[in-house]
Amino acid sequence: MELWQTPIPTLARRIRAGKLSPVALAEHCLERIHRLDPKLQAFIHVSDTVLTQAAKAEEDIRAGRWKGPLHGIPVAIKDNYFTADMPTTVGTTSPGFSYPLRDSAAAGRLRAAGALLIGKTRTHEFAWGNVTPPSRNPWDLDRVPSGSSGGSGSAVAAGLCPAGMGSDTGGSIRMPASVCGTVGLKPTFGRVSRDGIVPHSWSLDHPGPLTRTVADTAVLMQVLAGYDPRDPACQDRPVPNYTAALGKPVKGLRVGVCRNHFFERNDTDVEAAVEQAISDLAAAGATIREFEIPRLQYGLAAIFAIELASSTAYHDMSLKAGRVKHYTPDVRTLVEMGRFVTAPDYLKAEQIRTLLMQDFAHAFASVDVIVGPTMPITAWKCGEWTVKVEDRDESVLSASWRFTFPYNLTGLPAISVPCGFDRRGLPIGLQIAGRPFDEATVLRVAHAYEQSHEWKDRTPPIAH
Amino acid sequence: MPPATLPDPWSDVLGSDLEPRRREEVLAAFADVLAEIEKLRALDLTDVHPCIIFEPTAPYRLPEGS
Repeated sequence: MELWQTPIPTLARRIRAGKLSPVALAEHCLERIHRLDPKLQAFIHVSDTVLTQAAKAEEDIRAGRWKGPLHGIPVAIKDNYFTADMPTTVGTTSPGFSYPLRDSAAAGRLRAAGALLIGKTRTHEFAWGNVTPPSRNPWDLDRVPSGSSGGSGSAVAAGLCPAGMGSDTGGSIRMPASVCGTVGLKPTFGRVSRDGIVPHSWSLDHPGPLTRTVADTAVLMQVLAGYDPRDPACQDRPVPNYTAALGKPVKGLRVGVCRNHFFERNDTDVEAAVEQAISDLAAAGATIREFEIPRLQYGLAAIFAIELASSTAYHDMSLKAGRVKHYTPDVRTLVEMGRFVTAPDYLKAEQIRTLLMQDFAHAFASVDVIVGPTMPITAWKCGEWTVKVEDRDESVLSASWRFTFPYNLTGLPAISVPCGFDRRGLPIGLQIAGRPFDEATVLRVAHAYEQSHEWKDRTPPIAH
Repeated sequence: MPPATLPDPWSDVLGSDLEPRRREEVLAAFADVLAEIEKLRALDLTDVHPCIIFEPTAPYRLPEGS
C-alpha cells in the first residue's frame, strides 16, 4: 500500500513511533497536489505554512508531546471555513466580500489536535450547489465531483490528502462522497460547531469530514465533536469514543429500509448495488425491517422553502447592493428566488419538519439504523443539467439530493460509504443514518460493511 | 381610508427589486419549486408546532467578550 492510500490510524502509529516523518508525509501530499491538482482543481489555496506546521509536529512528537492520532496528519479545509493562515473566499469572485483570518471552531480543533492544515478545497459558490466548478471527479475527469464540498471529495478520492472537511446543507458532504467513492459523514445537527463557517442555511448546515475509510472518519470525529457556546445550536453532550464503536459485528442490529421515497426512482446499477448491500447486512446477521414514511413527499417543498428563504436572508445586503449580478448564474437565481417564498410557506415547512422528525423517531423505535442509496445516480458529466433516471429525464438539482436532504431536515447523523460501481466504473454510495447523536452506531455499521467488501481498496486511475 | 396608491406586490410586499425581464426568468425557474410548495399550502398543519424553538437563555451561554 502506498503512502497516500494508508489509513490515518496506521499513519498515526508510524508517526508516533518515529517511522514516518510528518514533514515527509506533508511533502508527499504537496507533490501529489502539484502533480494532480492541475487536472482535478480540487484546491483553491495550498498552504504555504504546511511544512512549517509539519516540522513543528515532528519536533513536538520527538520531544514526547504527541497530541493524538491527527498529530502530523494533513487535512484539507473547505473554503467556507475560516482559517487563520489561509484566505476564505466561499468560492465567489464577487466584489464586496472579505472574511476574517481566524480559525473556525473546526479548524481550531483540528489544529489543536496537531493536524496539518494543508489547504482550502473548492466549494460550489456560497456552498449553494451540487457541481463545484471547476473541480473534477478523479474517476472521470469529464464528470463532476458533485458538491458543494466537491473539492474535498475530489482531493480525498485522488489521495491528495488523507482527509478533508465539508459542510452539508442538503447533502453537500454525502453527495461528493458518493460520486467520488469516499466516506462522508454528516453528523447530528449540534454535534460539531458551525462557528466560523459562512452560513448557507442556519438550521440545515452541518460540518463534517470526508475520508477514505470509516476508521479515518472516527478519528476526525473524535476531535471535531463537542460543545461550543459560540454556536447556538451546539449541544453540551458527552462525546463517546468513536473508534471503540468500530470492529463490532452488525449481528443483532436492526437495519431499517424505508421503501418509499428512497427506492422509488433509482438508476438500475445504483438500485442493484444498494439491494445487494442490504442483503449482505442481512447475511451478516442484521435484521432487516422495512417501513414507509409517506410524509417524505413533502420534504422537497420543506427544504426548498427553508433553504431558499434562509439563503436569501443571508444574501439580502448583496441583493440590495446589486452584488448578486457578479454571482454565478445558478447561485444568483437561487438567491433571487428566495424572495418568492412567503413567511407562511417557511413556517409550514418548519411544521412539516416537526412531523418528519416524529416519523423518523417512530421508525427508530424499532430499528437501529436506516440504510438506502445516498443518491439515485452516479457522477454526471460537467455541463449536464438533466439526467436520465429510469428512462425519465430529471433535473440534476432535484435528483441529486433526493435521498440526502431528509437527514438535513431531521438533523440525523448520516454517512455515505462506497458500495459498488456502475457499468461505467463510477462509484455508488450507501447511506446509513442513525438516531440523534448516535454517530457511534452509524460508524459501527458503516465500518462492518466496509470491512467485508473491497470497495475501499479501489482507487481512481489518475491517483496512480 | 385606503392609501392613494397601493403597495407594489413585488418591490414593496416581497422586497424584490428585479427588473421585469429578470423577474420572469427567476419566476420561470421558481415554477418547479412552487409546485412543491403548493403541496405544503394544501396541508392542514394547524395543530403542529413549527420546528423552531425560542431559547431565551442562549446569550447567557456565550463566553465573555464574544
